[in-house]
Amino acid sequence: MEEANKGLVQGEANAHGVRVKRVARPTPEPTLRFWIISMMLVLVGLSTLKLR
Amino acid sequence: MLLALSQWLAQDVRAFNVFGYITLRAVLAMLTALMISFIIGPAMIRKLTAYKIGQAVRDDGPQTHLVKAGTPTMGGALILVAMAISTLLWADLKNSYVWVVLATTIGFGAIGWVDDWRKVVHRNPKGLSARAKYFWQSLIGAGVALLLASTATLPAQTELIVPFFKLVTIPLGAIGFAVLAYFVIVGSSNAVNLTDGLDGLAIMPTVMVAGALAIFAYVAGHIVFARYLGVPYIPGAGELAVFCTALAGAGLGFLWFNAYPAEVFMGDVGALALGAALGVVAVIVRQEIVLFVMGGVFVVETLSVVLQVGSFKLTGKRIFRMAPLHHHYELKGWKENQVVVRFWIISMMLVLVGLSTLKLR
Repeated sequence: MEEANKGLVQGEANAHGVRVKRVARPTPEPTLRFWIISMMLVLVGLSTLKLR
Repeated sequence: MLLALSQWLAQDVRAFNVFGYITLRAVLAMLTALMISFIIGPAMIRKLTAYKIGQAVRDDGPQTHLVKAGTPTMGGALILVAMAISTLLWADLKNSYVWVVLATTIGFGAIGWVDDWRKVVHRNPKGLSARAKYFWQSLIGAGVALLLASTATLPAQTELIVPFFKLVTIPLGAIGFAVLAYFVIVGSSNAVNLTDGLDGLAIMPTVMVAGALAIFAYVAGHIVFARYLGVPYIPGAGELAVFCTALAGAGLGFLWFNAYPAEVFMGDVGALALGAALGVVAVIVRQEIVLFVMGGVFVVETLSVVLQVGSFKLTGKRIFRMAPLHHHYELKGWKENQVVVRFWIISMMLVLVGLSTLKLR
């Protein structure tokens, strides 16, 4: 696989394979974490089907 | 463990009988695994960072991934710990299927652990050689397949179920079953590993497929539901619902830290183990073809690599801008998050198609 991919992105870097400048990664986005909390609450809700 | 305790307590307080229900224990196993992930996740990430267990990013991958270099990896250990503790707490430990799936998952996790450890701690970029990795995967996969084949007592346990057709089943015999089981376990393990290339890409489809397999396991282990829905009745398989939901909960807890931009990657320790777990559960509940459909994202990612390498070797031309497929879309200009969430949506759709086979037959 590595062989097949070799050099694929050379057009984006220069001929010497210079890497893009390292930039700071953004802080975690809350969206996905809100989804996880929602999913957890849905589970709690579903458990009330049995817990009564 | 808690089931035994609740059964003992139920002799005096009847309310404890409620813990005998698989459905309740499955929900509690999911929530427990999620909580364990939340509690030990930050400490584990700090430890991995302190030990400088950082991911090396492939030089030939998309340039945008170079900023990910140094992000701690081997976070799959978090999933395995949370899943194992939760399963041991809530599952019926007298059930042999529970031990089979736990051992398989931990076994494949151990292979991934050695591979990751050599790569990131010993700075050996090749890690475990492909041959050694495949040997150990095959050893465990074949061992589990033979064990399941030799302990099968009902014809339904070794028949291939064809979804959407009520009366079509293919008797495989013990050897045919063992061969199929081997390929499903090893194949799904590697397929999840190939998919694990973007933040959150592998874990969410794994969570969704595990959730669906929990339903299949519950139905397969319930004689009334199994007969009503026309799926094979596998005595004891219902307990795997607890394992599957623990896996889903641990996966969701891991996603909290793996969501873009990831604070930790699962590494091979997570990817190989999760894939093998899905494979072995699908084999036990006789839903290999449905796993193939529900795990379509994993299948397509694997096929993209096979086609890319095959085409390059045969014709010197590439089919995709880069393989696995998620990199192709990244190079087409999709943002990482777009690729991930769109693949999740496709996965969700495929899981629904898989679940529909319960009724549409």
